[in-house]
Amino acid sequence: MSTDQQDDQGEEDTLVNVADGVDHQVAMVMDLNKCIGCQTCTIACKNLWTEDGGSEYMYWNNVETKPGEGYPRGWEDSGGGWESSEHSDRSPGEIPDDEDYGRAWEFNHEEIMYEGSDEPLRPRDGAEWGPNWDEDQGAGEYPNSYYFYLPRICNHCTHPSCVEACPRSALYKRQEDGIVLVDQDRCRGYRYCVEGCPYKKVYYNTVSKKSEKCIFCYPRIEGEGPDGETFAPACAEECPPQLRLVGFLDDEEGPIHKLVNEYEVALPLHPEFRTQPNVYYIPPFAPGQHTEDGETVDIDRIPRQYLRELFGDGVDEALDTIDAHRQRVRQGGDSELMELLQDKNPAKQYRLEVFDDD
Amino acid sequence: MTDHRRTLTLTAVLSALIVVSTVAAPMVSARPAHEIPVSEVSTADLAEPNADGWEAVPASDVPLSSAPSSVPNADDTSIETVDVQAARTDQRLYVRLEWQDATRDMNASATREFADAVAVQFPVNTSSRPPIAMGGPDNRVNVWYWSGSTGTQELLAGGAGSTTPFENPTVQANASHSGTGSNATWTVVYSRQLDAPSENRTDLRTDGDLDVAFAVWNGSNGERSGQKAVSEWHYYPFSGGPQGPPYETLLWTLAGIAIVAVVGVTSFGIYRTQGAE
Ligand code: SF4
Ligand code: SF4
Repeated sequence: MSTDQQDDQGEEDTLVNVADGVDHQVAMVMDLNKCIGCQTCTIACKNLWTEDGGSEYMYWNNVETKPGEGYPRGWEDSGGGWESSEHSDRSPGEIPDDEDYGRAWEFNHEEIMYEGSDEPLRPRDGAEWGPNWDEDQGAGEYPNSYYFYLPRICNHCTHPSCVEACPRSALYKRQEDGIVLVDQDRCRGYRYCVEGCPYKKVYYNTVSKKSEKCIFCYPRIEGEGPDGETFAPACAEECPPQLRLVGFLDDEEGPIHKLVNEYEVALPLHPEFRTQPNVYYIPPFAPGQHTEDGETVDIDRIPRQYLRELFGDGVDEALDTIDAHRQRVRQGGDSELMELLQDKNPAKQYRLEVFDDD
Repeated sequence: MTDHRRTLTLTAVLSALIVVSTVAAPMVSARPAHEIPVSEVSTADLAEPNADGWEAVPASDVPLSSAPSSVPNADDTSIETVDVQAARTDQRLYVRLEWQDATRDMNASATREFADAVAVQFPVNTSSRPPIAMGGPDNRVNVWYWSGSTGTQELLAGGAGSTTPFENPTVQANASHSGTGSNATWTVVYSRQLDAPSENRTDLRTDGDLDVAFAVWNGSNGERSGQKAVSEWHYYPFSGGPQGPPYETLLWTLAGIAIVAVVGVTSFGIYRTQGAE
């Protein structure tokens, strides 16, 4: 926590860990139990930021089916991040191939619409992979197959290995809110950030020959809109089930701080990459397994080990905590946690103006 | 043999040795290892890589090795030598670089694609030699850069990571890739007017030696940024003046004559003294 804030607010130091030199840290919590895989977030982002030449293949926000290859294909095994929690040595990483991202296919519209062909509408040339190629496939055998959706954006990490990877310091973490950006004037298209990010959330623009990434919709949160109004990132605002909370990790009155630091039920994705993400997930619940006869038995449908691989060992306690609070409410008790996870009050869901007077 | 005769013989041998060594020294070092000769030409047919004018210009083989750099795979570079030619008219300097590269990598339009590139580095201030790796904050370098995907750029750098392009390059570059297989070569010719076109650009009309260094990137080997094959500092011997005898040879000859004269006079003195006994 910055000294500025302590001075301004006369508060005691807390355990909220924001990066050195950063005043406050934007953060997001996504409740995976609510995601319906509609891709409204993906399209909201694409329409705003990645429609121009060279960025067609980019999805700064993507939603992938887990278990699954993800986008870009195999990103979880593509290296990057840090060797240890000292954050001194970076792990080597790879730049995904165009095919791993999935090319924009060309379709036979021309033939069908204008040339009277009665072929089915389909991609012109060998479409063999694309984002969400394995959508809804998941894993497991009938009647115990399982999958869930994982929406992903840049995590605006506290220890961003993308920033460290750039020999030109073209990437930087903004002092005011910890948003990680690529300075388009400094970037020379070397793509060390692309290989250095373990989440593969920096993309190379093949036309401008520079790298680009999620900007946490900073013009929206800065109130650059038509009426000077502040908006949460488009992926959050447009989400039909409103599963994203947006605010600051160090806003101790906000739901994000409570879910992440107090109840410890919101977890970072792949903490073993050690970049310390600031996007957190409420891990998914699924009904117990079924027997051949359709009876529900007390065995996790989503293997716990798989969830540990995604969200670290903290997932056991997180799921237990949520379960305990659920029981409590079921039995007529109160739970702030359950309220936070169901809260529809926009003032609480998006808390972006709390540090405006700093 | 008398003492006199012995002294005379010794003097003669000594003088001869000194003369030989003083004359031989500049002959051996007439092209010191890091000197790259510059042909002075009156008219230039040199702008194109295959221009006839280049046939008469001597080439230097400049060895390259991986640049020390903190970027991943910095020691994985593939180009080991670059042939450098240089010629100067009273208006422009032309530099021709030729190196072997089997693949012609002209694009950076796919996520994993990198283009071939080459650069020539000069000190901005020609009176002192900057750190070889992109200069230093107080001792900057002016870099002429060409790559298959970006074309020609003119850069200013004051240390690794500080490279900044000038808005309007004043350097021209023409490139051609010829031949096939492992014998295929890139040839790139740079040229720029001798007068510094603006601040922070090297004045090529210097009377001192002009330091120069080279770098080559092989795009298909993923080479970019600090993953590059680089030379040590070399220099263009501009201090010699047009086609005149190398300045060093002149100095050595003068020094030789002086030494011979001193030895001669001393010997004569000894001879006279001994003869008077
Ligand atoms: S998710 Fe990747 S791109 Fe985003 S801040 Fe972290 S390391 Fe950088
Ligand atoms: S808009 Fe919301 S529900 Fe739809 S895919 Fe995105 S995060 Fe999931």
